Amino acid sequence: MEEVLKVKNVSVHYGDIQALWGVSFDVLKGQLVALLGANGAGKTTTLRAICGLLPISSGEIFFKDRKISGLPVHEVVELGITMVPEGRQLFPKMTVEENLLVGSYLKRAKEKRSKSLKKVYELFPRLAERKNQIAETLSGGEQQMLAIGRALMQDPELIMFDEPSLGLAPILVKDVFKTIQEMKQIGLTILLVEQNVHQTLKIADYCYIIENGRIVQQGNGKELEQDPKIREAYLGF
Amino acid sequence: MELLPQAIVDGLLIGGIYITIAIGFSLAYGVMHIIDFAVGEWIMLGAFLGFYLHKGTGIDPFILLPVVFLVFFGVGYIFQPLIHRVLSGKRGNPVLMGLVFTFGLALMFRGIALTAFGFYTHSIPAKFFQGSLFFQFGNFFVTIPMIRLAGLIYALSITAILHYLLKNTDFGLAVRALAQHKESAGLMGVNAKKTGSYVYGIYVGISAMTGVIIGSIFSINAQMGADYTVFAFFVVVLAGMGYLAGVPWAAFLLGLVQSFFLIYLSPSYTLLAVFGILYVILLISPKGLFAKGV
Repeated sequence: MEEVLKVKNVSVHYGDIQALWGVSFDVLKGQLVALLGANGAGKTTTLRAICGLLPISSGEIFFKDRKISGLPVHEVVELGITMVPEGRQLFPKMTVEENLLVGSYLKRAKEKRSKSLKKVYELFPRLAERKNQIAETLSGGEQQMLAIGRALMQDPELIMFDEPSLGLAPILVKDVFKTIQEMKQIGLTILLVEQNVHQTLKIADYCYIIENGRIVQQGNGKELEQDPKIREAYLGF
Repeated sequence: MELLPQAIVDGLLIGGIYITIAIGFSLAYGVMHIIDFAVGEWIMLGAFLGFYLHKGTGIDPFILLPVVFLVFFGVGYIFQPLIHRVLSGKRGNPVLMGLVFTFGLALMFRGIALTAFGFYTHSIPAKFFQGSLFFQFGNFFVTIPMIRLAGLIYALSITAILHYLLKNTDFGLAVRALAQHKESAGLMGVNAKKTGSYVYGIYVGISAMTGVIIGSIFSINAQMGADYTVFAFFVVVLAGMGYLAGVPWAAFLLGLVQSFFLIYLSPSYTLLAVFGILYVILLISPKGLFAKGV
């Protein structure tokens, strides 16, 4: 299968502190790949480095065989990568619909604007009901829908989710995971970063475990669920 | 009492000009977080370009406005990367660096202008708008000089155009996205540098055009900038830093305060009153009149 994303030996520093130590992993086309780890393990740093929001100090990142490390963020997303950031990061004073319209700011996405808008509203009828509401007045779950909808408006090939379940009620977490699976079914490639190990192992095609800025373990969901070390460290058995 | 309607009308007419002094400044602050001390100097430089163009060609200053805008849009567009560099440098406090940098720019521009244009005061006569409108209602008289009316119409048109740009175009969407969440705007594909350059160009262009208008209503000289910088600050701080919708109201308030002091007290108290009011309002509502600033 074709590699959509290839992260090769990437290191990242925050000043003198090294956050990533030679991280390498691949995401294959149409797969749902998960990056699991505890707080501060380097998950968000990895995603931000891929997007071009953080400079990497060594290594290389490829998107469909094109080197993207070193590109500024607006050029990276132009190629078809997007991220649903941790904590949603919406445009707080804009309406729901305006948030979605910014999503289709990219030239490639602009052509499909009305079609994508219809699709997003079909997927999240709640957003259609509230399209003239100011984003910051939405509930946490609705904001997460909007953040996902905004990313879909970009017509991406690869969506990266940064802890989409963070701060949501358990019933909403289930909805979000269902939505992510639906994304996969419509052919998107997904890189999911999570702390919610149990749920994630169930839906991911392949998982990487990251600890202290290093990939320490990898395998498909079943393998990792059986792994005694993982069971002890992350599943509480 | 007979002068009250005149005071109000004068206040609104002058307030219009303050909108255009402050609105570009507020936009630039909202998007790039630059507090531009050189705002008055852009006004002054624009005024002198208008003055010399008018002197050279004899064309009415109102027709020269688009030329002045385009020239200074270009100047701002070219300047912005420099300011971006100062603001995004790794030298500690970037906001302070921006302040010092633009303060330096202002001094430099003023010095150059004094050397190049001299100390003389000029005006830019507008042939199209001469004479006054005169109204009488019983005991009340109101005089509206045509040139000031033209200035107000100019200001309202600029405000309307900016409003349209920001609300109804993709460029405006990108600008607002950038102002509200820079990183997310980047994730949506907004090029922060390029959009910032356009915004700065628009701001400098509007300021320069306003300089020409000021030249036809009042007068210009190489040292006029400092006063207008003060007025721009007053309006933007009162409106709430970066809160664009508050700018027209704050500008009209400034105009009214000025005209009331001019008519009922003495012009020498105007600045005292202006800052007294600003002080009191900020004590009550530190984020500006509408509590929506930064």
